[in-house]
Amino acid sequence: MTTDDRTGLPLASGTRREPATKSTTTGLAALMTWLQKPRIQDLFRALLYSSPALVIFILFTYVPFIRSIWLSLHITNIQGDPAKWNGIDYYLRILALDGSGRTEYLTSIGMSFQYALMVVPLGIIIGLGLAMLATAKVRGIQVYRTIYTSSIAISLASAGVIWALIYNPSTGTLNWLVDLLQLDSPSLLTSNRTSMAAVAVMSIWSGLGFNFIITLAGIQAIPQDLYESAAIDGAGGWHAFRFITLPLLGPTLLFLVVINTIGSLQAFTQFHLLTQGQSPNVFVYETFKSFWYENRYGFASAMSLVLFAILLILTIVQYRGLNNRVHYQ
Amino acid sequence: MMSFRSGNRTDALRYNAIAYTLLTITAIVLMFPLIFSLSLALQGETVAPTLLPTDWSNLDWHVFSTVFERQPIMLRWILNSFVVSITVTLGVLVTSSLLAFALSYLDFPGKGLLLFFTLGTLMVPFEATLIPNYLFVARLGWRDTYQGLIVPFLASGFGVFLLRQYFLTLPRELYDAALVDGCTRLRYLWLILVPLSRPALATLAVYTFLGTWNQFYWPLLITNSTEWRTTQVGITIFRDFELGVFNIQMAATLIVMLPTLILLVLGQRQLVRGLTAGALKG
Repeated sequence: MTTDDRTGLPLASGTRREPATKSTTTGLAALMTWLQKPRIQDLFRALLYSSPALVIFILFTYVPFIRSIWLSLHITNIQGDPAKWNGIDYYLRILALDGSGRTEYLTSIGMSFQYALMVVPLGIIIGLGLAMLATAKVRGIQVYRTIYTSSIAISLASAGVIWALIYNPSTGTLNWLVDLLQLDSPSLLTSNRTSMAAVAVMSIWSGLGFNFIITLAGIQAIPQDLYESAAIDGAGGWHAFRFITLPLLGPTLLFLVVINTIGSLQAFTQFHLLTQGQSPNVFVYETFKSFWYENRYGFASAMSLVLFAILLILTIVQYRGLNNRVHYQ
Repeated sequence: MMSFRSGNRTDALRYNAIAYTLLTITAIVLMFPLIFSLSLALQGETVAPTLLPTDWSNLDWHVFSTVFERQPIMLRWILNSFVVSITVTLGVLVTSSLLAFALSYLDFPGKGLLLFFTLGTLMVPFEATLIPNYLFVARLGWRDTYQGLIVPFLASGFGVFLLRQYFLTLPRELYDAALVDGCTRLRYLWLILVPLSRPALATLAVYTFLGTWNQFYWPLLITNSTEWRTTQVGITIFRDFELGVFNIQMAATLIVMLPTLILLVLGQRQLVRGLTAGALKG
């Protein structure tokens, strides 16, 4: 690219040099030259092509995110407009730092973590088991793989309606378990002891298709010759799994831990359908109640931003902390 | 585990027998909720259904049409879900292609910023924008409208990322040659890039359709009247319409699942590619 030796501005090839006698024409000419640079022309094209997506991103992601922060610092009126500056009082209230000693929101964050601890490890381990099973070299394995993946296509709403009936005492499906555990209520969903676990079981089932298919893809990406050379050395079965499959699946399993944790902490539909937020009040459901039933838009915004912060920190911690133990090829 | 070595015929037979037994038992356990719902749907209207039908000769297959007779609104919900899912899918394909084209073929100042801005949308969870989005869409008067269900989802950071990664694998010389020959950029995108990128576009289409069809939280908030519900919200309010009528509830749920189950069987390869796009990059 040549540079105009009088104005110092870069000059697109093929552009005629204008004499620099009058400063106004020079400025105009320089602008024209600049506008004709391919990179600048591409900038206008890029803005044109990206505008439909950018408008959506700005209107429905960035502006609302900033507005969320703004609302969380205010007491809001019934229309959802900020009415009175409130500072960080809502955050202090949520994190039980306001000195009132009321810890119900902190407790519900704890409930969310308890729920995630039930769902994430079990879901990933079962998914791994299914994926190992689905590597069997038999005819028709594709049919089994489709069946194992199927829960991906079944929405949380459909799964919720079905599982609500599985837990419904009228269908008699799990009454034996209720008797066995000697629960004080007729359904696993209504007993304080078991309702969280009951929702977790449904969620694990619902997430299995995803965990399975990701793990299977990870296993299939492992070079086959590693197993062949291991077999020559007499290592098969458990040893091959322990020393080849598991270490090389590290990045895949790490990804699943992060994604599953984020998903579990955001879980709403299953709690809405199975327990209607009665006994285990997870944080997202508490947020929904403040937002939807109580119309406390500012407070609910503060809650949703606390969730955002938790998810962000967790993701960073998990990637940082687990990355050291993960082997990349 | 030594029997996994092939070569010996009895070993191979034993391997097959064990594999099929394990695979089949697992498949039945995993499909239990589906088998359960089908079983309940076919048992007729009863307050005390059994896990499996007691009278196999008397299964009520008409239940699937009975659903529509008793709750004709189901048809409207299915229409709503199709309109929303198809429009969102097409919209995402168009907006993502255009932005991904700019990010992979054009050379301009601020390109890195634009990419950052696009991927940044993936860092903001749905919940963190939900309340202002609801207030905004409600203020626009878009509750109980298709716009309210569709417009917020017409662009996807994931879609742009997926298509950009694919566009970058295609030979750049093709683009330069086409421009020299006087092809405009939009014609190049439409006539050359789109046909070449069919696998990536199919992946994005299947992924987006499935995700939109199965949406629950947003449609629950933004629709209020019965006829504007989508299938997912619809089947859950069915529980109140048809309280205790298990066969209708289960039949409706199975009907609503059908489109995505068919999509899974037909588009499994595309879907898996989409799901693993983020996973295997490490």
